[in-house]
Amino acid sequence: MVYDVIHSTVYDYEEGVTFCHNIAILKPKHILGQNLIDYQLEISPKPTEFSEKKDFFGNTITRFSIQEHHKQLKVVATSKVDRNVSECKDIEKFEEAKKITLTKTLELLKGVSDAILDARQYQLESILINNINDTIKNYALESFKPDRSVFDASFELMQRIFKDFEFNTTFSNVATPISEVMKEKKGVCQDFAQIAIACLRSVNLPARYISGYIETLPPPGKEKLIGTDASHAWFSVYIPTFGWVDFDPTNDQIPKDQHIVVAWGRDYYDVAPLKGVLYSSGRSTLKVSVDIRPEDGYPVQDPKTTTQQQSQQQQ
Amino acid sequence: MSIDSNKLFKDYVADLKNYDEILKPTKEINKNWTQLFDNIEAIGSDELHELQSEIDWLMAENGVTYNVYNDPNGLHRPWQLNAIPFIIHENEWSEIEKGIQQRAKLLDLILKDVYGERKLIKDGIIPPEVFYEHRGFLRQCDQIEYTTPKNLMIYSAELSRGPDGRMWVVNDRTQAPSGMGYALENRFTTSRITSELFQNIHVKQPSSFFNDFSKMLMDAAPEGVENPNIVILTPGPHNETYFEHAYLSSLLGYPLVKGNDLIVRNGFVWMKSLKGLKKVDVILRRVDDSFVDPLELREDSYLGVAGLLEIVRNKNITVINPIGSGIIENSGLVPFMNAICNYFFDEDLVLPQIASWWCGQEKERTFVLKNIKKFVVKRIDRSNRESLYFCEFLSEKEIDTLKEEIIKNPFRFVAQEKISFSSAPNYVNGKLEPRKVVCRTFSIAKDGCYTVMPGGLVRVASERKQLRVSNQRGGISKDFWIVSDQKQENIQQYTWSKSKNSGASDMNDLPSNTAENLFWSGRYLGRALTTSRFIRTVLNNMNNERYNTRKSESEILVYLFKAVTNITSTFPGFVGKGSEKTLENPLKELQSLILDKNRGGSLAQTLNSFNNSYYTLRNLWSKDMWRVFDSIKKLWKDYDQTKEYSLNSLIKLLDRTITRLIAFMGLIEESIMVNQGLLLYFIGLQMEQATMNIAKSRSLIVFNYEDYLNYEILEAFLNSHESLNIYRYSYQSYLSVENVVNLIILDKTYAKSLHYQLNRIQKDIARLPIPENSIGLNECQNKIAEACYIMDSINSETILTTNKDNSLRENLEKTLSDLSDLLHETSLAISNTYFDHTYQQTQMVQQKIEN
Repeated sequence: MVYDVIHSTVYDYEEGVTFCHNIAILKPKHILGQNLIDYQLEISPKPTEFSEKKDFFGNTITRFSIQEHHKQLKVVATSKVDRNVSECKDIEKFEEAKKITLTKTLELLKGVSDAILDARQYQLESILINNINDTIKNYALESFKPDRSVFDASFELMQRIFKDFEFNTTFSNVATPISEVMKEKKGVCQDFAQIAIACLRSVNLPARYISGYIETLPPPGKEKLIGTDASHAWFSVYIPTFGWVDFDPTNDQIPKDQHIVVAWGRDYYDVAPLKGVLYSSGRSTLKVSVDIRPEDGYPVQDPKTTTQQQSQQQQ
Repeated sequence: MSIDSNKLFKDYVADLKNYDEILKPTKEINKNWTQLFDNIEAIGSDELHELQSEIDWLMAENGVTYNVYNDPNGLHRPWQLNAIPFIIHENEWSEIEKGIQQRAKLLDLILKDVYGERKLIKDGIIPPEVFYEHRGFLRQCDQIEYTTPKNLMIYSAELSRGPDGRMWVVNDRTQAPSGMGYALENRFTTSRITSELFQNIHVKQPSSFFNDFSKMLMDAAPEGVENPNIVILTPGPHNETYFEHAYLSSLLGYPLVKGNDLIVRNGFVWMKSLKGLKKVDVILRRVDDSFVDPLELREDSYLGVAGLLEIVRNKNITVINPIGSGIIENSGLVPFMNAICNYFFDEDLVLPQIASWWCGQEKERTFVLKNIKKFVVKRIDRSNRESLYFCEFLSEKEIDTLKEEIIKNPFRFVAQEKISFSSAPNYVNGKLEPRKVVCRTFSIAKDGCYTVMPGGLVRVASERKQLRVSNQRGGISKDFWIVSDQKQENIQQYTWSKSKNSGASDMNDLPSNTAENLFWSGRYLGRALTTSRFIRTVLNNMNNERYNTRKSESEILVYLFKAVTNITSTFPGFVGKGSEKTLENPLKELQSLILDKNRGGSLAQTLNSFNNSYYTLRNLWSKDMWRVFDSIKKLWKDYDQTKEYSLNSLIKLLDRTITRLIAFMGLIEESIMVNQGLLLYFIGLQMEQATMNIAKSRSLIVFNYEDYLNYEILEAFLNSHESLNIYRYSYQSYLSVENVVNLIILDKTYAKSLHYQLNRIQKDIARLPIPENSIGLNECQNKIAEACYIMDSINSETILTTNKDNSLRENLEKTLSDLSDLLHETSLAISNTYFDHTYQQTQMVQQKIEN
């Protein structure tokens, strides 16, 4: 399935900004199962400096700075992505991997192959996923047992988060500690992904944070409105002998073609879509809109299940 | 020499269990130290006591300080240097030197590997968590390449002597090691004061080391840069080792800058200077890794430069030590160091380390948990200063908590064998006492290897029984002598050949922060002096009143009191609401205006503000200035302790403050060069004096008094202006307001007249560098020109015309008020043009994440 994605971010500054340095992580990954056909980043005003580099995690980082005085900063990322998850499924290996127990996984993780060494860093706490407490661990232990398959347990964890947590766009922000989210059982996709990761790490499993998009469908019979999508996040578990397996606890499903991957890291901090340092004295307002639609538009067809994808506005 | 006969050694051997630097178990003195003790014996213990006091005095006088965080006794604590040095013979030292060089080379390779290929992890030499769980591992620094052959440019190893008599490595410092400047200042001090102790001892000098250091900075510049601009980046005067940052800045001749002096533009780093932006090529940083770039690292940092890391990636700036080098300040590496040494060099470590067990490995962890009381447990990173546990002293409960913590986060902990390190003699109250010591050594990259400073900084435990040596807990230092059998040259005061160094030799290149602080130093000094003089005049008048019952006397005092409030802008005071009450006990109000630190406009607060600018500029001040400055502080401190706030004692305090302020101002003029920014100081000073001059005139001579008051008001006015004698000399007449206005406001040649001051400000502003991109006269010049024009146009005939209805000289008031506004606008224009810190750095996204 080929998608067109438009991710637009607009900052309006009351007093104007004389100068800014920014970092954007907006370019979808080019990986097995996801082919990035086209990508453009439009920035206004025009940056004086611009560079694109890969970061530690292999995400594409765009750095730019603007030297002219401006009252509005507009960053629009337009991508064309061909998503075909079936490409990356090695069914036989996957069926085997599904059976690996927690005990076996932890044993295999002591290995030193490149993949395992890389995965091991995701067992550790990170900037936003720290101080993993007993409440989180106990929540995890309900699903994770030494002799149970890691895949099954992760699947169940995803289901439980979907069931136990309330989707609420006003409760949290990016700095809300995971313990708070766990306590109130409320939040958005970022919180759910990070709670799941905290649970997995509490039992020493490598888990990473994926940021991206998910296609949402208009209500039956209605035209889809432009810009109603948003960026999305989910989590991934490393299963030795197989690799990373994604789970979307916000929508209670294993991501397929509707999920588009932009970046991954230890938590949201590693993959924030846009950040920067600016020189100004006034206040700012932010507008973000994301639009994802199939290249050929929507055929008239039966409505699929609706999905939730609202993520936090970064204010 | 036998120690039994020497009273210095009384009690020295009591409970001396461990290895001691001077005493063999046979109570014989280690032969490296015998000459020193012969020298001490020769001068006698009284003289030794004298020397120690003199060192203490000189250190305080020279303003050698070490800031202790959260110290209730004030921030700047004098650096303590003990008269007794620490001695190592060069035969032993050359082995140690080899060990330091080997370790420096090794750490350099580890640093390159951890941000490069990570072969040590891939080849199974180090478990990945030793790096990944260390907070100093900055993924943002991954795969950065550097132009210098060594990445680790400065390395500091801390050594202590173990029970086997060898020097052991106890710590590695690789981010921004401090202490070099203190070590050098220690040597200068001992050479000067305790020269008798050096008799017949050949001590190696660090002269060539600092030359190498200077050259290293120069050679580190990015490719193609011929005459590199080097700056020293400091977190600011509140940092614990700010003294040293300023010290190195003046020693090496490179500007001392703060993060907001630097800016990233067009792919380079620039310093904001008076003239505009000046490209920077090398940054010697004293700001920790995570604070250097708020764009990519700690977002809440105001100490760094946004975008710096990308300039490093593009090889357009060299940062020393490289950002990310905190990862190898890692006690988790210790158990693996020998294996790493074999891996890279196929040899063993030269210098022994403390036996250590990293808790990330199961077998080791089990062993540690089982025997925990025997160990000192540490976090692998030291971001938390107090994260060191001497387990033998912990309660059962604390042990359990620590064990839980280790089990929960095993990768973060390392356990080290508890070692009793050697003690060395310290001079304390007429006797020698054995104290634990730690030697901080310094090495720098040179010609593909490392060169080591002969000696270094020796720190001493603050008490006899103390195990841990730390400056943060208030410590003492020693000079570190490497003694040779061959004669050595004397220590040289450094004179750098500046030919290759383009440093801050030109006023155009003055960092704008420095310029701003100089400007404000001038303003605060001007304000302090005028305020002191005026209040003193008032106090003197009060004193006279006591012996004089004339009615006019008390009426005059009310005018003077009101003027005090106006001049110091400390409303309501004697003027506004509630002033009747204040007037009942005027001394109380005046006392508060002098002494209350928390009151805006008070003398104490002005002096405090001056202190702050002063510390920030310390690299510019001379030693004489320190002395005078210190004496002002001491004067006030002593006064505070007397708690005797009588009229006379306050007058005495002001008298003394005034003389010292004037001495200080004289020293500024002779100690700082115009192109170091003296001009800015002058502009600030003149501006403040002119402003205060106007305020005083407006409060005292705008009103047309009854004749019987007039004389004494004018007398007080001239007195507070220190101009009564000049007046008498110039006019030889009875005091008249016309003549006073002529002298204090209109006279073009008298240095204390407003006219003179305005002209001088105009002249000085014209000498400031013209900012780039400006056309014609800039705003500063325009504003002051306008003020001078008004001044020139004053008609001395009509200026004093009085409105009969309100007895006000309205022309004078209007003119003075316009001039006051223009001065204020000139000051703002100077700020905007030259001290461009108006825009605040903020995060686009306020995440409030502490990372």
